[in-house]
Amino acid sequence: MANTKLLMTFPVTASSHMLAAYRARGGYGALEKALREMKPEQVAAEVNASGIQGRGGAAFPMGRKWAVVHPMDGQPHYLCANADEGEPGTFKDRWILEYAPHLLLESMLLAAYALQVRHAFVYIRGEFDQPYRRLAAAVEEAYAAGYFGQRILGSDFACDLVVSRGAGSYVCGEASALLSSIEGKRGYPRNRPPRLTVRGLYQKPTVVNNVETLSNIAWIVANGGAAFSKVGMAKEPGTRLISISGHIERPGVYEIEIGHPFARFIYEDCGGVLGGRALKGVIPGGISTKILTASDIGPLTLDNASLQTAGSSMGSGGMVVIAEGTCMVRLLQVLLRFYHHESCGQCTPCREGMGWLHRIIDRIVAGDGHPEDIERLYQISAWNDGTTICGMGDAAGYATSGILNKFRDEFEYYIEHKRSRCNGTLECPKSS
Amino acid sequence: MPEIFINGQSVQAERDQSILQAALANGFYIPNFCWHPELSIAGNCRICAVQVEGRSWAEIACNMPVVEGLRVLTDSDVVKAYRKSIMQLLTLNHPVDCGICDKAGECKLQDYHYKFNGSPSVSRDAKVHATKFHPLSQRIVLDNERCILCSRCVRFTREISKSYALGIVQRGDSSLVRCAEDHSLDADPYSDNIVDLCPVGALLSRPFLYRARVWYLKPTRSVCPGCARGCSVQIWHRKPEWKLNALDARRNVCIERVTPLENPEVNGPWICNKGRDLAQIFERPRAEQAMQKGLAVDLAAAIDSARRLVAASRHPVALVSSWGSNEELEAFKAAQGARFDCLVKQDWEPQPGEWLDDDLLIRADKNPNTAAARALFTHTYDDTRPLDADTDLVLIWGEGFDFARLPAGARTILLNSYLQPENGHADVFIPISIQTERRGHYTNFEGVVSEFEPCFAKRASVADAETLFASLFASEGIPA
Amino acid sequence: MQHLIPEFEQLRKRYPATFASSLLLPCLHRIQEDRGYVADSDIDGLVEYLGVPRIQIEEVLSFYGQLRRKPVGRCHIQACRNLSCSLLGAERIVDHLSRRLGIAPGQTTADGRFTLSTVECLASCGTAPVVMVDGTYHESMTPEKIDALIEARS
Repeated sequence: MANTKLLMTFPVTASSHMLAAYRARGGYGALEKALREMKPEQVAAEVNASGIQGRGGAAFPMGRKWAVVHPMDGQPHYLCANADEGEPGTFKDRWILEYAPHLLLESMLLAAYALQVRHAFVYIRGEFDQPYRRLAAAVEEAYAAGYFGQRILGSDFACDLVVSRGAGSYVCGEASALLSSIEGKRGYPRNRPPRLTVRGLYQKPTVVNNVETLSNIAWIVANGGAAFSKVGMAKEPGTRLISISGHIERPGVYEIEIGHPFARFIYEDCGGVLGGRALKGVIPGGISTKILTASDIGPLTLDNASLQTAGSSMGSGGMVVIAEGTCMVRLLQVLLRFYHHESCGQCTPCREGMGWLHRIIDRIVAGDGHPEDIERLYQISAWNDGTTICGMGDAAGYATSGILNKFRDEFEYYIEHKRSRCNGTLECPKSS
Repeated sequence: MPEIFINGQSVQAERDQSILQAALANGFYIPNFCWHPELSIAGNCRICAVQVEGRSWAEIACNMPVVEGLRVLTDSDVVKAYRKSIMQLLTLNHPVDCGICDKAGECKLQDYHYKFNGSPSVSRDAKVHATKFHPLSQRIVLDNERCILCSRCVRFTREISKSYALGIVQRGDSSLVRCAEDHSLDADPYSDNIVDLCPVGALLSRPFLYRARVWYLKPTRSVCPGCARGCSVQIWHRKPEWKLNALDARRNVCIERVTPLENPEVNGPWICNKGRDLAQIFERPRAEQAMQKGLAVDLAAAIDSARRLVAASRHPVALVSSWGSNEELEAFKAAQGARFDCLVKQDWEPQPGEWLDDDLLIRADKNPNTAAARALFTHTYDDTRPLDADTDLVLIWGEGFDFARLPAGARTILLNSYLQPENGHADVFIPISIQTERRGHYTNFEGVVSEFEPCFAKRASVADAETLFASLFASEGIPA
Repeated sequence: MQHLIPEFEQLRKRYPATFASSLLLPCLHRIQEDRGYVADSDIDGLVEYLGVPRIQIEEVLSFYGQLRRKPVGRCHIQACRNLSCSLLGAERIVDHLSRRLGIAPGQTTADGRFTLSTVECLASCGTAPVVMVDGTYHESMTPEKIDALIEARS
């Protein structure tokens, strides 16, 4: 299939992220067109017609999320770009922040116009240094050029943007926890109802969208929602930025049309497994998606419908490749340590469950495992499935049960023999 | 009024209720830790989940809005299995302290463990430890191992007392409830309500620590005399059948603790800390011996002397106690008619540093029955002005009168419950009973009348003011 | 933190008027950038400047992994130990750092020069293993690059 690009459409240079370069390739043209010729509801209609789904992990249709907000209800509304990008394996929003920050800003302005948002936010994880500096510089350029502030491009539309930095918390990538963080509090997710589009930031209607999802809006407005819906697949239109890492020859960020063949992506586009080794497994969309084996990916394409047939999902687009010879028990230990560290502690199943999972895997790795531990790991995962305030509990459960489903025998071996069948290897073993 | 179905039964719910509220209001029990009718919804304990018919999973009920036609099950197999799993998780790291924990007997975790779990832990890993005996304030001790982080205490300090003293620091299973480093919980006059709110034995009252097992105690309803709000309280004391033989008999007739008695008309489910400390008021050394000019006499003799003083007086003044009950005040009025110049006295003034009043419960008037006293005896005693110089008899009922203000030559009859030096200076001193020794009513500043009941028996040498007044004026026999 | 107030006032202008509480994290970041950590006096100052309860500031400081109430070494090295970095040798990198500096993760060298800690995913998986030094990403680390880095900062 054709490999259309919508986002990574220009060569990256030392200045390609700057305003002048962005304008030279047509940047802010969509905003000018919208403010000159379109009403807010027309912009929203194009987004709806595009059929675009969220690219942060939840795949919720953007048009449907926006539709809950009534732009003319007289209340303040807020728009927030989720640039927290904490899902391990994921670094594709970073690409946009570093190399195409104005693409995000123009798209946010279009979204703010459609939703009648006066104050917009970008919540960017605190650890990002270069992406933050590039974004902050782009914001200043945009203000100087009159794209933010009062009477934008001579219209009645006014909008201010604040870049809000996180401070080291994975759970603040969850939309409601993100808003709590912007409010100056702990990153505690909130129960729904009410949805954030009804009561979000400071209890006002708020739209939270992923950076990549938002960044498509400029193209959608410039070329029309219908044109967007023809790229990729009918039920899942557009492209995805995939960040691939781990035991892969050519790690990095790639833009693929949704529906691109999975095996081709790994073996051709990205150069295959590091050192020419066999593929043991691939986590397709961030560690919270279920791992797939080499034989699983053969018939699959890179879209949610296909991955769901194999019990997994595209998630955040953070693909991690694992070569043969890697110890899956030690790998799970890395993941469970992460979830334990990041649990906010608010609700019972996750707070108690993450620590419990971590303690069990630590014990197994230390040679003190017990046969019933495997069932216990499954049980704790099940107790976190659909029972928690946010999806983090479920995510840890998917990671755990996914790895156990595919590699149970390695865990049984480790428990019985009190050592790894793969010498505890995580780093790509040198080709023998 | 939307109609919903709980376990197949039709229920008329209110439009803005949650399923949990609708269930509880209609006799269906759904367990809950973090939910409380007076606090915002936290939805973190997860125990209140119910099953919506047609779905295969359970969802929390405290945040599930009532919707016309919604059908839920509160006791299905799915719900039972779910509850058991939540209890397993809650007790995963919970210390088995029941044998030494004050909360035993009134602990929701204990109750729910027996009802919904009842099985041993399935974990083979050691329990996570945390701080025990953390002094959250001068009055409250916190055991972080027992804490289930329901956040009721934190929400109380933000939504009700508004001291913002408490929060949760760190995260995950290292989370800890803590007081702000400026010790602001010490300054929160409602702090001890969090001890009641805590569904487990994490927050405990330091004055009550290890005093008694709750099942050896019984609560008697009473009214706090600390201010004109007159909060409904429960005074806890040992059940007679559980008296301690080994100790001083007085240990069996003391106030073990005071907790709120929920009263929607007056105080809701809260009281202030002064109400918790009623023992500091009621258990001051008591006057038990009638006296004349400091010489001990028996009660009947004292009453007789007082009667003669009353009969002989020309310009008598009575300082009426604002701690007298409605019944005592009525009896005084009926007995003396218009004989005495009656002035209502504020027995207690605010102490230095005492909270004056606020938007919640505390009133500046630190007396329980000023309203009833003023309704019966219009004039108030102004202690900045002297009593009339020609006063020849002053009847002082209750505390708070400065004897320096006595007009020269006036005789005195003093009715008081507590030991004080002035008792020995009065011409006649008669010890009287206190609130915990009789039944009666107070009228609060809004006119709400509340009843208190006796906890203890009074001594024979102590009189009841209500019956005393008739005796004092008996020879007069002339009503007003 | 008083000398930072003019900066905070500029920052305040971009936020809606009722968003005083939202200034807390940006102010804390700036204070930490300036002082190296957040001091008790800074907390008192922010209570007054922002009008937020003291407990909120204490909660926030203890919740977020990047904020600290104690100083660190002059050079703060934070090594990622999450999945992709581990798959590409993060454990070896951390061991190397530990041996070169003579401290375990979580500790500071006796001369106060270096603090070593491990952190979770920094979203730099494509250039793993990654180490953050005083807030700057150092990507595709090798033991040789570690040595050069330590030399440069010694």
